[in-house]
Amino acid sequence: MNPYDSLDDDIRDHIERETQDNIDRGMTPPAARLAALRKFGNVARVIEDTRDVWRHVWLDQLLQDLRYGLRFLRRNPRFAAIVTLTMALGIGVNTAVFSVVNTVLLKPVGYPDAARLVWIGAYDPNIHRAFARNQDYLEWRRLAHSYSGMAAYGLQQPAVRTPRGSSQLTGIFVGGDFWRMTAAQPAAGRLFADTGQDCVVLTWDYFQREFSGDASIVGRPITLNGHPATITGVLPKTFRFQFPMWWAAAQPDPVEAYLTLPRPGEGIAQSMQVVAALKPGATVQQAQSELTALEQHLGRTDDLRVEPLERQLGGGSRKALLILMAAGACVLLIAIVNVANLLLARATLRHREVAIRAAVGAGRGRVLRQMLAESLLQSVAGGAAGLLLARGALAVLIGISPYAVPRLVETTIDGRVLLFTLALSLSAGLAFGALPALTLRRGDLQSALKSGARTTCGGFRLRRLLVAAELALAIVLLTSAGLMLKSFARMNAHAPNFDPDDVAVMKVRFTGGRDADAFVRELLHRIDTLPGVRAAGVSCWIQQGQRINAVSPGYLPALGMRLRQGRWLAANEPRVALINESMARRTFTGLDPLGRQVLLPRPYTVVGVVADVKYTRLDADPPPEVYIPIERAPDLYGLEIAAAPKSILPALRREVRRTDPSLPVFDVKTLGDALSQSIAPRRFNLFLLAGFAAAALLLAIVGIYGVTAYSVAERTREIGMRMALGARRGQVAAMVLREMLPIALAGIAAGLIATRALAAVLASLLYDVQPTDPATYAAVALILALVAVTACLGPAWKAATIDPLVALRQVG
Amino acid sequence: MSTEDRIELLQGTLDLLILQTLVFGPTHGHAIAKAIEQNSEDVLQVEQGSLYPALHRLIKRGWIAAQEGLSENNRRAKFYRLTPRGRKQLQIETTKWEKLARAIGRILKPAGEEGIP
Repeated sequence: MNPYDSLDDDIRDHIERETQDNIDRGMTPPAARLAALRKFGNVARVIEDTRDVWRHVWLDQLLQDLRYGLRFLRRNPRFAAIVTLTMALGIGVNTAVFSVVNTVLLKPVGYPDAARLVWIGAYDPNIHRAFARNQDYLEWRRLAHSYSGMAAYGLQQPAVRTPRGSSQLTGIFVGGDFWRMTAAQPAAGRLFADTGQDCVVLTWDYFQREFSGDASIVGRPITLNGHPATITGVLPKTFRFQFPMWWAAAQPDPVEAYLTLPRPGEGIAQSMQVVAALKPGATVQQAQSELTALEQHLGRTDDLRVEPLERQLGGGSRKALLILMAAGACVLLIAIVNVANLLLARATLRHREVAIRAAVGAGRGRVLRQMLAESLLQSVAGGAAGLLLARGALAVLIGISPYAVPRLVETTIDGRVLLFTLALSLSAGLAFGALPALTLRRGDLQSALKSGARTTCGGFRLRRLLVAAELALAIVLLTSAGLMLKSFARMNAHAPNFDPDDVAVMKVRFTGGRDADAFVRELLHRIDTLPGVRAAGVSCWIQQGQRINAVSPGYLPALGMRLRQGRWLAANEPRVALINESMARRTFTGLDPLGRQVLLPRPYTVVGVVADVKYTRLDADPPPEVYIPIERAPDLYGLEIAAAPKSILPALRREVRRTDPSLPVFDVKTLGDALSQSIAPRRFNLFLLAGFAAAALLLAIVGIYGVTAYSVAERTREIGMRMALGARRGQVAAMVLREMLPIALAGIAAGLIATRALAAVLASLLYDVQPTDPATYAAVALILALVAVTACLGPAWKAATIDPLVALRQVG
Repeated sequence: MSTEDRIELLQGTLDLLILQTLVFGPTHGHAIAKAIEQNSEDVLQVEQGSLYPALHRLIKRGWIAAQEGLSENNRRAKFYRLTPRGRKQLQIETTKWEKLARAIGRILKPAGEEGIP
């Protein structure tokens, strides 16, 4: 029971008793009551005071603290702005990364029972990727018992002819239980059955763009790669393809349509991806061991892998995102340290104010809370600004490389992100507010009042320690960014003679309307006679797993490949082949490959060896490859055309059109652009990490400058005294630098050691650079040492130009 | 006794007086106020209303407790009684008070006798 409840009754009872007493003493009832009331005092105030006993006083005081904090910030706008901006940077960076992590790693895929979906593939160490063949998929589907559904899919870019004209379509062929597993419902028409052939389901966007939303297109015949096909339906706007897309980096166009499984010969050796739904109760491990057993039973040695779909979807971005989270945390830590430093410096100045407040009766806890309230106010303001910053940063990121991270385009700032930002702001405020508040408590308040002097209360050593920590964190970030930058340079370092930016490439897809071989012959004849062409040719991948490329004689020279041994291919040759060095090393270790045979599976005689060149992917060593004459290709489904220099691109395009105007040409670009797309995820990581490192460097500079400048300001009198006693200006400046240098060096050393310890984590983000690369470490250390010295120069100059007369006369 | 001779209570002493009054048994609010006045021979003036915030403060600290009961003329009233913790606190407060009174007495007496040199 709350005793406050019956207070009114108690008071009434009290006054009645007093009245009765007065009557007993002989007063008249009205006079007795009046006297009783007078004696009791102000009833309303008594009730108010009693209520105050029970009310949570801290709530009122908190409001008061916040009001006071606001007033303080309004009176120190520059200080408030610096703190808020610093925190905005620190928190914004983390909010941005977290909202990506939230979408990519935390949000479930929007399919029913997404947790039970797994991805199955045979890992190919040559291309560092896993894929499945049509035959595998059919066998798994028939023989494996761990699944309640299985779907196959893959990229297909057929030439399509509709009543609106002919074009090239970015499609995905899907088979098996794809529609059931994705719970897709058509917005118009119907979805095709697994057994269907030559059927197309359009995405909403493509349907709107190409057919202006005209539903009469459903059921109409079209031509797909030369075969008659039907548009059976349209998907709703909300449908999303959320299976792993290995091709996303190289092929960033959005999906336009879903197709039935391709006819034999229409895809690259029918390579596909497989996603399956585990039966209730079945685990990933069970599924994995069943598949391995199955594979052994079939007498194959493929390295089969079963992985949860969500992990696959996050793909390589998972580790990178976690590293980015850690880097973001570093930036926030630096920001907190910086602000704490600022507040520490200020705390010394505010010592008197606090002493006065304590003297007039404020408890120490109350003073502490007041300071924390100020810090929280600032960090929450910083968090709000950080949220805006994060929104802008996300928009920029999505704009720059929408497909660098799967599902990046879906990234939004939702409730969870807001909660994260709020929690981060509050804890950051507590962190940077607690330090100065504690030193204030420790300080001797009485002496502050008495002397009226500025006292240094041990905060200075702490501040220097914090600067060292800040530098160490900045080193970790800068070194990581430096290593990634070097990786980037390595990726883009090409073999001599290989200049991808000067090679024009484009693709052509055959629609089956005419003889492909005849087209190739005519096209080759035309481009060979083009004026100004250095080299030109066509190719067609026969098999991407084992990497067999059928090429015309001019194709490899056009790419910029160099012959190491033997000769180039000539026109219309029998079964001869060129191999690259990597293939020569693997197949003919130590032997002279010339004149020997490779089995594909029919024997081809090696007539030459070309140097390894990264012309399909930048971030992997060139895999072993074999090149055979294009006339020997079993089935041409399309061509890749390459020509140098890039200036002949318009002419080349014209010739392709002249050869056959009905063939759609696509992916027209320089080889350099195509390659650069292949490392979009890495560029994304580098972009972010470099941004973080830059922020860290900036904050570190501000931190060093702040502490040095403050220490000089604080010691103006001492320095003046030294100069009056004969210290030269140079000596004074050197003194300032000398005091900061050990701190900087300690911070740098600690940072290098920490980076070395974390090196293993970084390895996955690097290419062809050791995570312990001494050159990078040395360069970063040197840069930071220079930066530290530069940041001290200003304060040192200021110290050197102190006028001893003025300084000594200065009061306090 | 004229009003000029009455003394305003020092802050905090009211608590001590309430606790002391309750040593003799549970009592209601009005009786506490009367007892304080009479026992101090009307020197101490308690604005009776100020009793209530003090009572509630003591309840909150757990030194006294309140309970419903019937008064001598069979009327319902709220009775306050000392808790064991309150009894202990009373001892502490009493000792403190005596010390303070002695100290102040020592300071004031010599000054009164010898005057300011």
